[in-house]
Amino acid sequence: MSRRPHGLALTAILLWVVVYPLTLVMIESVRDDGGWTLRHIAEFAGQGGEWAALWASLWISVASVLLAGAVGIPLAFVFERFDFPGRRVLGSLVALPAVLPPLVGVIAFLFLYGESGFVARAAMALFGLADAPWRLQGPGAILLVHAYSMYVYFYLFTRAGLARLDASVIEAAQSLGADGWTTLRRVTLPLLRPQLAAAATLTFMTALGSFSAPYIFGGGFRVMTTQIVASKLNGDVTMANVETTALAAVALLGLVLLRRSQGTRLVAAVGKGQPPAARILARPLARWGAATVGWTLGVTLLLPHATLLLVSFVPLGTWTIEFLPPRYTLGNYAALFTEPERLRPLVNSLWMAGVATVAAVAIALWAGRLVVQRRAALRAAIEALVNVPWAVPGTVLAVALATTFSVQAPWIGRFVLVGTLVILPLAYLVRNIPVTAGSILAGFRQLDPSLDEAAASLGATRWRTLRAVTIPLLRPAILAGAALAFATALGDFVTSIVLYTFETRPIAIEILSALRQFDVGTAAAYGVLLMLFSAGAMVVGTRR
Amino acid sequence: MSDTYLELQHLTKRYDEHVAVDDLSLTLPRGGVLALLGPSGSGKTTTLRLLAGFERPDAGRIVVEGRDVTGLSAAQRRFGMVFQHYALFPHLTVAENVGFGLAGGDGDPGHVAATLALVDLSGFGRRGVTELSGGQQQRVAVARALAPGPAVLLLDEPLSNLDPGLRERTRRELRTVLRETGVTTLLVTHEQEEAFALGERVAVLRAGRLEQVGTPRELYEQPRTLFVATFVGRASVMPGVMAAADRVRIGDGVEWPATAPAAARSGEAVSVVVRPEALRFGADGLAGQVAECRYTGARSYYLVRVGDRLLEVEGAPDAARLGDRVRLTATRAHAFPETGS
Repeated sequence: MSRRPHGLALTAILLWVVVYPLTLVMIESVRDDGGWTLRHIAEFAGQGGEWAALWASLWISVASVLLAGAVGIPLAFVFERFDFPGRRVLGSLVALPAVLPPLVGVIAFLFLYGESGFVARAAMALFGLADAPWRLQGPGAILLVHAYSMYVYFYLFTRAGLARLDASVIEAAQSLGADGWTTLRRVTLPLLRPQLAAAATLTFMTALGSFSAPYIFGGGFRVMTTQIVASKLNGDVTMANVETTALAAVALLGLVLLRRSQGTRLVAAVGKGQPPAARILARPLARWGAATVGWTLGVTLLLPHATLLLVSFVPLGTWTIEFLPPRYTLGNYAALFTEPERLRPLVNSLWMAGVATVAAVAIALWAGRLVVQRRAALRAAIEALVNVPWAVPGTVLAVALATTFSVQAPWIGRFVLVGTLVILPLAYLVRNIPVTAGSILAGFRQLDPSLDEAAASLGATRWRTLRAVTIPLLRPAILAGAALAFATALGDFVTSIVLYTFETRPIAIEILSALRQFDVGTAAAYGVLLMLFSAGAMVVGTRR
Repeated sequence: MSDTYLELQHLTKRYDEHVAVDDLSLTLPRGGVLALLGPSGSGKTTTLRLLAGFERPDAGRIVVEGRDVTGLSAAQRRFGMVFQHYALFPHLTVAENVGFGLAGGDGDPGHVAATLALVDLSGFGRRGVTELSGGQQQRVAVARALAPGPAVLLLDEPLSNLDPGLRERTRRELRTVLRETGVTTLLVTHEQEEAFALGERVAVLRAGRLEQVGTPRELYEQPRTLFVATFVGRASVMPGVMAAADRVRIGDGVEWPATAPAAARSGEAVSVVVRPEALRFGADGLAGQVAECRYTGARSYYLVRVGDRLLEVEGAPDAARLGDRVRLTATRAHAFPETGS
């Protein structure tokens, strides 16, 4: 069997589910009743609210990068450079928010810092106030949540960079008379530049596409993602398309600019041999200082999730003005598993995330084989295609899919999928292709190509080679990619809110409706389950 | 010693239970070059790091020109250090690397250029350090360490990262640079050849302790311990007995001239160390059989089996053949009392 049709088929599928919907959205925003028009764009440009939202998206994203860096970079230094009791466990725990669904983080925040959260109650009890001293709303609240959850990118990238840094380069600077600050400014930070740029890119893209925080805390303050969903829910599909196009354009522009700042790749060490991996051990005073800073930051960063756990045990309507909830129950959890309508979102999310994950792994394996084993012209195309969804905010993908698959026109590849069981798994799949393919393609690149030839020379068929050699060797990469995809799909909120129906509503949507009914216990219980499932998936996925 | 410039006084460094450097004392005159020689784990690298200020000693002092620098940090001490893997700043150019330790950040361009000329890298200033060959990187590392005019220059295995073909040349260049700058230098190596070629004096370390310090010739010809005798240069070891103050008895009635510590008494059991070039094939002497021949051109090396021991003998290329029964005499050997090792 010739291999060419495989490459073509995969390219066609990716074009159809990724590029085609995005293109359609852009086309629709400049079309009107069968003709081309700039009317919609003019309408968009003429409204101050639209410009305000676009500007808000941009500055919120830039500010999120700065704040997340301000938290994540020092945290990475503390955990990578100092040894103190609990460093290992705490060091892994503070990386956790990366795999937790954004909505879970947001409601955890609400319970901790919101106007009826613990901190507000404590303040009220302490100062004898009748009302909450603040409202968690507006750009400040959004930025707080962003910094709180996105520091993880800076933390992980900086730690990885520091761990690979040649310790003798730092010592060289010291022996040349550079003090700690000079060494940091002139040697360490410049050497970390690729990692910092990568973290900044990731944070910027995540903040730009962030929906949960602006949706819950925005109030009257609109960013582009919430603006798009509002237009969509109001039935103004054309405006939603124009807004989507605008957000996609900003995302691509940001990506290009940030990529440029990454600079040329630096080699961590020049010369032959392995650099020594020395830990800089500080004197007792610095050690205890580091322990204090590490623990304080670590506990503060994990506090919202602990709050969520606590709130999940509070029975409905029993917690009113007290500082701590007066009663605790397992009833919220029991209800989730005994009442069919409450169990439903759980089941929905699990099967939809499962299907999307399996499909993403299959596509990634397919892409991996093609990309690694062929000198094909399609290789670059496939590599680019699997990364496209990463460059586009989730809301944009959701609106693009909604636009494309709400029309029945099979001859141009459009089917009515919106409202069916297919659309959400499809959306999850498209969103997850980059992360799954990223992990699995990296795994493929590490495989020795002569292994395939060795298996072939021993008489193994291609299918047997895949089953007995390739997949076992790729297992860690597949598991890691699948775990990330599953956790993301399970907690998805941003695409779900555009595409769900009552029948297919996932956990995140149910959390939102529980919040609307002030049933915080149920919302928290769902949130805790999401956390457990995500953490469980990551434990499986990172096991070697 | 009146002209002492650098002094290590009773340095001790422990890691948990392990004693890496054990009561080490050494002195260097101004402009002196001392090589620390020892197998891995002998504490030579730790000593270097203590000197640089990257580690603090648990006991002892480091004194430069009568000034105690033990309490100073690496940045305050400013000893020039050339790292084994060079540790050049990959994000800076050659000139920026060399200027890093100079006042004002990038330093005086003239001084940087002069330092680069010293290591024969004139005109390389604007290059990135990653574009250079291994030998060039090594020279940049030396220039960077020398540029600020350090009180002491420290070299960690300076030639170990170079291809064998490049070592001879780099060694020569390094010696020239050290002589021209007159900087007091301490280098660490596990290769005897490197230590002998670069060091005016060599200190042999073993398990954190100083075994012997002296000129290369002293170490080779008058080793004070069995360890030094076998670690420095090629040597074979045989059991023997002191026959007189300057003779040892090997086996049945064969006696060789030998140096021995004054304390060794007649009749005492000793380990006898003999160099390949001190052994000769002869008509009488120790009986053995040639087990291996290694031809190297001008000379050949023979392994001669005597009982359960193998003795290495240097001789003319046609002095013996594989399987020949031969007799060995020695012109000179070293005897060490067995309890001493």
